Parts: sequence; C-alpha cells; structure tokens
Amino acid sequence: MSLFEKFEKNAALYNQLSAAGRNPFNIVMERMLGPTRAIIRGRETVLAGTHNYLGQTFDAAAIAAAQKALSEQGTGTTGSRFANGTYNSHRALEGEIANFLGMQQCVVYSTGYQANLGAIAALATPGEDVILIDADCHACIYDGCQLSGAETIRFRHNSPESLAKRLERLDPAVKGKLVCIEGMYSMFGDIAPVREFAEVAHAHGAYLYVDEAHSFGVYGANGRGVSEADGAMDMIDFYSGTFSKSLASIGGFVASNHPELEYLRFSSRPYMFTASPSPSTIAAAGAALKNIASTPALRETLWANAHRLHAAFRQLGLNVAADPAPVVSILLPSREAAFAAWHMLLEKGVYVNMAVPPATPNSTSLLRLSVSAAHTPTDLDEIVAAYAFMAEAISATQAAAE
Amino acid sequence: MAGLGETGVNGDDDLVFRKIATLFEPLNHKGVKLDRETDLVADLEIDSVSVLDVVMDIEDSYDISIPVSTISEIRTMGDLVDAIHSIKKHQA
Repeated sequence: MSLFEKFEKNAALYNQLSAAGRNPFNIVMERMLGPTRAIIRGRETVLAGTHNYLGQTFDAAAIAAAQKALSEQGTGTTGSRFANGTYNSHRALEGEIANFLGMQQCVVYSTGYQANLGAIAALATPGEDVILIDADCHACIYDGCQLSGAETIRFRHNSPESLAKRLERLDPAVKGKLVCIEGMYSMFGDIAPVREFAEVAHAHGAYLYVDEAHSFGVYGANGRGVSEADGAMDMIDFYSGTFSKSLASIGGFVASNHPELEYLRFSSRPYMFTASPSPSTIAAAGAALKNIASTPALRETLWANAHRLHAAFRQLGLNVAADPAPVVSILLPSREAAFAAWHMLLEKGVYVNMAVPPATPNSTSLLRLSVSAAHTPTDLDEIVAAYAFMAEAISATQAAAE
Repeated sequence: MAGLGETGVNGDDDLVFRKIATLFEPLNHKGVKLDRETDLVADLEIDSVSVLDVVMDIEDSYDISIPVSTISEIRTMGDLVDAIHSIKKHQA
C-alpha cells in the first residue's frame, strides 16, 4: 500500500488536463501587466477571476506605502505575532481596521485562512462547545472546526430556520454555541440574511461569527460588508476578513466588541506558531483600507461593472447563479462542459475560475467571474465578447445533441 | 462484516435502511443494489460533499443532528443506519 495511491484518481485527471494544456489548476501568470491584465501562455489576457474587487493591487499610494515600509522595516519579521513579529505597524493596522468597522478589538493574522482557522479553533472547545456552520462555508471554516475538535453541525445554506431547528435540538448541557456564516459566498455570489441569523443565534444564546472575506469593502454604505448592508453590524460577535481581496495584499483579521478577543493572542495556534505578515504587506493593506474609506467611487465603479456583466450574461441566455454581485457565476450542466467553456474563454483571452464538485455546493459545475473596479470599458467589452462566443458554442453543441 | 451485529437489533432497522436508501437512490447512477455493505463513496461513486447533502435530508426526516465528525467516519449504508439509531436514542 503506497502513500501515493490515494492520489491516483485525481492525478490521472490532473495530468490529462495538463498534457492537453487545459488545466485550470495549473495556470501561471507569466507577467503581470496591471490589476486586470497578464500574459498567460504568451498571450495578453483579461483577468476576471482574481477577487481583486476594488482593483487596488497597482494603486500608487499602496505601492509607495509598501516600498517605504520595506526600506524602513525590512523584508520580513522573521517571527510570530506571539514572539518578535509584532511591530508598531501591525498594531496600528489592527486599530485602523477596528475603527473602520466601528468595533473595539481586532487581531491580525498572516492570511485570511489562518484568521478563520485560528479564531474558530481557539473559541470552541471539544466536549463543551458546539459549532454550527452554514453548509456552504469555506474550507477554512470547516478546517477551523476540525482543528478545534468541538462537535460541529451543519445547517442548510442561508436558512435561519434550519439553524433554529439545530439549536433547539442541542443538549442543554452544551456550554458555548458558535454560529458561523459568511457575508457573500464566493461560489455563487449569493449573500446571507445576516440580521435574521443574528436574531436566531442570540435568541438561543449563541454567538455569531461572520466571515466577510469577499464582501468587506464591497457591500454596505461604508464598505463594512453584508453585515452593514443588512443593518446588523452591532449584532455581530466576531467579524473576520482577509487582506487578499479588496485590500489587495495578504493577511487576515478577526474583529469583535468582546474585549476577550485579546485572549486569542495566547490561545490561537495559527497566530502563535507562524511568522507575522511582512511590513510591506501590512503597509499595502493599510493604504488600501484608507482608499476604501475615502473613495466610495471604487465601490460604485465595481457595482456598475457587476451590473453590466450580469445583464449581458442574462441576455446571452446563460444560467447566471445569483443576483448581480461582485462574483458572477454561470452554471454549466457538467464538469466536461465547464472545462470546455473555461478553455474557450481562455482561448478568447479571458481568465475566470472554474469550479467543479466536490469544491462546489450541490454538485454544480460553474465558471466564476470576479468583477473588478479596475476593469476598463475595453476589458468589459472583451469579457462580454468571449462569453458571447462561448454561449453560441454551447447552444450549437446542444442543438447538435438534440 | 463489521457493523452487522452491532445494530442493537432495532425493530425499525429495516425502515431506517429503506428510508435512507430512497434518499440515496437519485444519486445511484450506476444502479448498484443497495445493502448494508454498500460503500457510499467507493460503490456509489458519490463525492463526500454530496454525502453531506443527503445527510442533511436525513437529519430533517428524523429531526436529529448528525455531527460532521460522525459523518466523516461513515463508510457504508450500514454505518449510517447505525449512526442514526445511536443518535436517535441519545437525542430523544
């Protein structure tokens, strides 16, 4: 029995796709040309699968701040937040994020994945507490539950009623209850009824944890996320986010009004046992955050672009998964159809994400496009033209099959 | 034949089995004959996420909650039947 035997089934598919030059999981950005363009396989390509929602990766102020931090504070911290890896700049950014959200506390982690992993694992204890998660939560939330060792129960996606049923079934001896949801779900671009979830959670004595990785900076009058858009900011117990989407850097955070959040600093393994974010990544995230606060036009452009693409895809007769959102996913009938469609778009110079089971809810296959405020009218035209080509090819195949 | 003698010989064992068999039938594309030894992933070729989704239907049918860690230990239809009995007894 070889250690490698378990990989064989997926390896066959992976190698077959790579050999055909059609592997969506093996793409190399050969050269970046800007926030929405890169050279892929020698060809200039419009990037529409990068979650660079506000398009700030080449923002002049963010680059200047990162360069300044790099020369003043060095290339890396060479230590964890718990030891030598906390600089003034890490603490300052925590204050700025808390302030932006109107919350008391914030703890910065090295990635968004680690923020969820670390906070959830630290908050719930095996044998005492129970975690209830939305079935469609991201892998890092599932992994956080597993790392915590606490009993974990799933409820139906976006159903406060399904959560209520599961809370009511719990043994009265359960000590703490933690409910985890996301603001916007990244596969379909659908959003959670955060306020309703908060009401159900609190009515049953549970804490609410909201991951706004994809919605931070994008939803709400001030860009505080779906929680703000739903009027639920003051009902959130724990708010998590990432620097690697609208903040155009890398890192993550958890914020709260509970002063006890500070205890994560000595209880959360992914905080204590990995190096802290480098000074330049912290500076870039800080500059991007300032832009979000001062420039609502970024959000307005993003939404205008999202509405334009959503309407265009509908008009092409494509099966769009959700209402207009910064993620516009179209559903395809099979894995094979998704691979073919993804490849067609790339041939036409448009890069999007392809997602197939088991990474997707309800065994769906889809092409996921993330819109950016930095997409120019030309970018959008090229995206729509590529999708039109794909839509025509799909209907031709369907017609041939009938 | 693990699991066969461990069901606690519940009178409704057959009913629970039949109920979950109906829930898995729409995913049984290969037309495998379902019995206690049927391996959900290897025999039915259902991915782990789809198993989780069927479990959600089972939870609603029986008004029980099946923890994620229990689901990940389930390999066969028989394991699932046993888990349902055990949780029903505990949560009743």
